[in-house]
Amino acid sequence: MKKLLTLIRVALKVNFGLSLLYHRVIRQKKDIWVVPVAVLVLVSIIPMIYGYVKLLAAMYGALRQVGQEQALLTFALLAGQFLILVFGFYYVISAFYFSRDLEMLIPLPLRPFEVMLSKFSVILVNEYLTVLVIVAPPIVYYGIQSRAGFAFWTNALILYLLLPVIPLAIVSILVVGMMRVVNLSRKKDALIIVGSLVLISAALGLQFVFARSGRSELDGQAMVKFFASPDSLLKQIGAGFPPSIWATKALAGGFSGSGLLHLIIFAGVSLVLFYGMLVAAENLFYRGLVGIGEISGRRKILSQAEMSRRVSSGRRPVQAIFWREWRIMNRTPIFLLNGVLTAFLLPVIFVIMAKAGSGDNTFILMLAMTSPKPVYVILGSACILLVCGCLNGTSSSTFSREGGQFWMSKVIPVSPREQVTAKFAHSYIIALLGIIAGAVMLIFGLHLKLAPCAAAILFALVGAVGMTAVGMIIDLARPLLEWTNPQKAIKQNMNVVFSLLANMGALAILGFFSYFLLKAGVPGNTILVLVFAALLLFSWISSLFLLRFSDKKYMEIEV
Amino acid sequence: MLELQHVSKSYNKGKVKAVDDLSLVVQPGEIFGFLGPNGAGKTTTIKMIVGLLKPDTGTIGLNGLDTQKDALKCKSITTYVPDYPAIYERLTGMEYLNFIGDVYGVMKKDRLERIEKWLEIFELAQAVASPIQSYSHGMKQKIVLIAALLPAPQVMVLDEPMVGLDPRASHHLKELMREHCDQGKTLFFSTHIMEVAEKLCDRIGIINKGKLIACGTMEELRKLDKEQSLEHIFLDLTEK
Repeated sequence: MKKLLTLIRVALKVNFGLSLLYHRVIRQKKDIWVVPVAVLVLVSIIPMIYGYVKLLAAMYGALRQVGQEQALLTFALLAGQFLILVFGFYYVISAFYFSRDLEMLIPLPLRPFEVMLSKFSVILVNEYLTVLVIVAPPIVYYGIQSRAGFAFWTNALILYLLLPVIPLAIVSILVVGMMRVVNLSRKKDALIIVGSLVLISAALGLQFVFARSGRSELDGQAMVKFFASPDSLLKQIGAGFPPSIWATKALAGGFSGSGLLHLIIFAGVSLVLFYGMLVAAENLFYRGLVGIGEISGRRKILSQAEMSRRVSSGRRPVQAIFWREWRIMNRTPIFLLNGVLTAFLLPVIFVIMAKAGSGDNTFILMLAMTSPKPVYVILGSACILLVCGCLNGTSSSTFSREGGQFWMSKVIPVSPREQVTAKFAHSYIIALLGIIAGAVMLIFGLHLKLAPCAAAILFALVGAVGMTAVGMIIDLARPLLEWTNPQKAIKQNMNVVFSLLANMGALAILGFFSYFLLKAGVPGNTILVLVFAALLLFSWISSLFLLRFSDKKYMEIEV
Repeated sequence: MLELQHVSKSYNKGKVKAVDDLSLVVQPGEIFGFLGPNGAGKTTTIKMIVGLLKPDTGTIGLNGLDTQKDALKCKSITTYVPDYPAIYERLTGMEYLNFIGDVYGVMKKDRLERIEKWLEIFELAQAVASPIQSYSHGMKQKIVLIAALLPAPQVMVLDEPMVGLDPRASHHLKELMREHCDQGKTLFFSTHIMEVAEKLCDRIGIINKGKLIACGTMEELRKLDKEQSLEHIFLDLTEK
């Protein structure tokens, strides 16, 4: 047990870079800027939390009128667990199978479940932080509004701690099983990608089915019956995932018989799945892990003709760097899943959300898109296309993804401007793929007409230049080059979050700008011209800044 | 020619001096061996020469060019082999060599001729079409060495290049290093293998705690320490 605790402590320290951060901030006083930046990030989240609480207040008010306020808790718990189910998958596969420290851990006298548990605990802590923002506000709001007592808050704490266990254990068991099969094959990378897509699609499909079932039509009599019972809505929302119902009842019931019973059921199922995961770890983990990084290359001597064909006749440095980026991104499963495939996945999620009718912002965008005024349709669609194209993290991790290989970019005789141009071209093409996928979804999924869609694509193409440049600037300012797990370079990279906030901020400013122009009675076409000009200016300034910044920053980065 | 003048580099806001007022010159046609205990400042010096680190003070010149002011020109005549072959594992060996050929502007004819020659010498021809991820440590070291030789650079900077190489490859490398310098080019390398330094180098520099404590030909170093072997000279000098 002592060994396991030590292992978990080290894993947490490595993952969160605690020792390194302490050394740099406290000892070396080098990265002291981290403190104000962390404060700034926390402060920037406040308006979002405020908006979220306002939405919750409206939901609570509406639900209370029909005596269904417990459904707010089900909504929160279900949302949190689904988030873990979908995104936990990325974390699990990369932490369990692609952390570089695993090579060091396997030869140590540790049991497979101990190694896996240390990785699991890292993901668990990550999920506590992620889920806190989603789950805590509704629970706290409900608790305050319903003047909940000690029992509610005690159960809330226990449930918060247990919440990620069920989805993470399910994901872990599925991944460990999948990787055991993957490791039998020679085409491991391809199988990892296919398997990941199947599991993510299954999770998204479930979300779609549940969301649809949550808004089924009821006739008059059924409606009366429905609202007569205080837990009918929560049962309907949580029907597809019963743990969210048990958790709701445990929270609402407090220390009553029903509350404790449901708490015991929730904890019991968590424990059983956790144990199941340990059994799977002990039996399958190493069989899937050992040799997963090995690629059996074909060993054959190339003929003279083949050699001559394979030796390139010479590309320009910008082209050479572009293809390097393209190949490395597409051949690294974690990068491919988070970059290119996310660009394709985002439009699908958008359509699911829109069709299922969930998500407040999607609703506003849907209103804009179905509006008879072309200005709303074009700007709303352009906004969706930009989100599809630019929020996948390709540009904002372009330098970080190089990691320990960044030394090569420093020593090759290619100017920073040329290197940045090649990287920009790569990120922009991924954005373009996202925009095209988004446009296809808008036309076939949401039946958008071709003419406004073409205009929206034009707006998105211009805006994507600026957004790609902003992502690259943020990553270049502080590239994350010291990582042991490729997931850290893209999914757990704060630069991706900062870039997302900055780009969403830019979109919000443009949104307000158009709104005020509309309010002021400016004609629609004039607004379109002005927004287009603003996008052009934004893209021109940010790409120019990126080039200038690269000259300075490439010199400064020491590896 | 490689020239370091009063080069210093410190870490931890000046508290740790990794390299302290280092000055040395490596003439064209010369193999210069750079020795020192672990943490003495060898890799820091090498990283400053190739532009991975920026010196706090002092200048580094390559064939009359300043590595800070004419960075790109300096890089185009220099190649570097790091102490650990951290390279693009998802590329095949051939893709990596093509990438290096492209960024250094090596013509197709020269590229083909050189790649074929080095692949044969380092016995890597049968693996060049496979992903680098499938290579052993020694094979990765070999592909990095071939990549460093491919542009036929004026200056080669190698950080412990023998690590991971089998005896045959190590022997070939030593021959290639000699051949490189016989063409009037410059070679600067660090090593912990005293025997290699003693037999191969035209001149040797010993660094300890960031300071160059000895520099000269083997004969000159022997005079410093009663004509012993390089190993004894090294041990005596770095003990102080």
